[in-house]
Amino acid sequence: MIVAEELYKSFKRVGASRRKPAHEQRIVAVNSVSFKADDGCITGLLGPNGAGKSTTLRMLATLVKPETGTASIDGYDVSKHVLQVRQHLGFMPHNAGIYPRLTARENIQYYARLCGLNRKDSLQRSGELIEQLTMTKFADRRANGFSQGQKTKVALARALVHRPQTIMLDEPTNGLDVMATRGLRDIIRQLAADGHCILFSSHIMQEVAALCDHIAIISDGIVAIEGSLNEILGRTGQTDLEDAFVSATQALSKGDDE
Amino acid sequence: MSLFIIMLKEIVDNLRDRQTVFYALLFGPVLLPLLLGGSLVASFKQLSIDFDQVTTLSVANTDKAPTLIEFLYSNNIDVIDAPANIQSSVRNGETLVVLEITEDFGQALRDGAPAPLTLHVNNADKDSVKAARRVNTILNVYEQTLSNLRLQHRGIDPSVFDSLNVVENDVSSEGANGQLLASILPFLFIMSMVMGGFYLAIDTTAGERERQSLEPLLSLPLSRTMVVMGKYAATVCFVLLSSLLTALSIYTLFKFFPVELMGGQVRFDGATVTHAFLLVSPLIPFISALLISVSAVTRSTKEAQTYLGLLMVIPMAPFFLLQFLNIRSTLVSMPLPMLSQYQLLESAVLGDSIPTLHIILSVVGTLGATAILLWLAARLYQREKLLD
Repeated sequence: MIVAEELYKSFKRVGASRRKPAHEQRIVAVNSVSFKADDGCITGLLGPNGAGKSTTLRMLATLVKPETGTASIDGYDVSKHVLQVRQHLGFMPHNAGIYPRLTARENIQYYARLCGLNRKDSLQRSGELIEQLTMTKFADRRANGFSQGQKTKVALARALVHRPQTIMLDEPTNGLDVMATRGLRDIIRQLAADGHCILFSSHIMQEVAALCDHIAIISDGIVAIEGSLNEILGRTGQTDLEDAFVSATQALSKGDDE
Repeated sequence: MSLFIIMLKEIVDNLRDRQTVFYALLFGPVLLPLLLGGSLVASFKQLSIDFDQVTTLSVANTDKAPTLIEFLYSNNIDVIDAPANIQSSVRNGETLVVLEITEDFGQALRDGAPAPLTLHVNNADKDSVKAARRVNTILNVYEQTLSNLRLQHRGIDPSVFDSLNVVENDVSSEGANGQLLASILPFLFIMSMVMGGFYLAIDTTAGERERQSLEPLLSLPLSRTMVVMGKYAATVCFVLLSSLLTALSIYTLFKFFPVELMGGQVRFDGATVTHAFLLVSPLIPFISALLISVSAVTRSTKEAQTYLGLLMVIPMAPFFLLQFLNIRSTLVSMPLPMLSQYQLLESAVLGDSIPTLHIILSVVGTLGATAILLWLAARLYQREKLLD
């Protein structure tokens, strides 16, 4: 389970003049992000590019520290209980980032070993995942020539290797073809059905509408609206998610102007 | 434990990379010593003359100076007839040098006047110059003998012309050739260490950032310091391997080296090479730490190659510094990494005694600098900017 409350994060502007006032030297990446993702549920973090999705996920994954606000994974605070959070969390960043000179199996095994499994257990666990994610055909080939779909599977298997309760996927369907996307959706649904908490970030409306039980719309570093698809449509008075998205983000910028 | 896993993975991963393997195991340890050692042998061979070796010399008008021919013969020079066209023959390299005895040579000798001789030499050809030097040396001895005879004939002691008797006493254990050799040894070691760890350090830090595999790695339940140290340990293994191979190839190379050409008693036996390796070994952790901390700042392999390329100047700097400035080993220079190893290795190869204090200072200074660099690398890995 993920609970985020008022997360805020800014970065130093590259090439900013020191003479400018302090607030102009920094870019606010995440302004106010609050949402909740339950176990057994697929939660979608929907927002355009640059909305702060990746920074939010990085804060949740303990890679960067929130300046203000709090967040917890399965009850562990991301700022205080870093190692426990990492043990309960499987994180797949938005590009697969696998090692091209290692085979798929070696890639998975490496992470298994780093998560504390011994040699025998790591072999067994990577075997399980290779089966589960239907990777048998290419499991012992070096990752150098893998297709995007194959790379994503390896990265997902790595994220799952320590049996985390909570799983975060940053734009996992980027660059996948239709069949690979469908396959990945089935895997994600199965993981949710097994009781995992899934947080899924995307900028593609249809995908989020098709897959997610719960949606948080993020724009300019702020969560504009949060709820199930029907709740969001009802509250914005729209009939599809795209219109709802536009009206929610417009309401947000009006609120800023006033 | 995770340190060990990371180290092992990086080693396996990089052993599958041809570039890394070539530079770590072939370029530094084998090619570099061969190139430098080979050219060194060639230049020594060029410079040194073996007077015991019998050689031939083309002489024109041999009948004009039978005593001189006799003298040449007794100095291991077999005289043969000169070619018809002396000048072009020497210029074209068909004959190395030609000694031309002039028509009035015998008459001048009998008159007690300077007897003219012409030595045709091609100064553009190193072999010709070398042959001419040998002939000149022998002719000088002959001239000295003749002068002495002339003086004695007139009742003068030849030694009255020797107003000074300078005896040069070289107190170093070896001559100047040994000196050059001694400064090349640390250069070879340090260069091969840098080359050995260069690509692995880049691949495991900047390369990992570039492949974007760092982000998932850092989100695993292990501390970032462990991650850096694992990568550092892998680099140390490669640098160690590279320097061990270098020691081995230096030993092998100098086994086939014509040591007598070096003009001294330079001995490159197992003991000397082992001694040199031990003296230089504190640089293994130091250079690895330097490589890791510099490449930790960089974002891409290209950027890392640029920075580390500039860093290559550092192992070369002491080499040139010592060549030109002749800095003495002092208590101040000893704690400086690289410089102290250069000085210690020179002394070791030349067989000079090394004060224990110098060795201790060198080891402590180098390891201290290593600790600072490692601390810096660990700090660099804590930055949030690492994921940009």
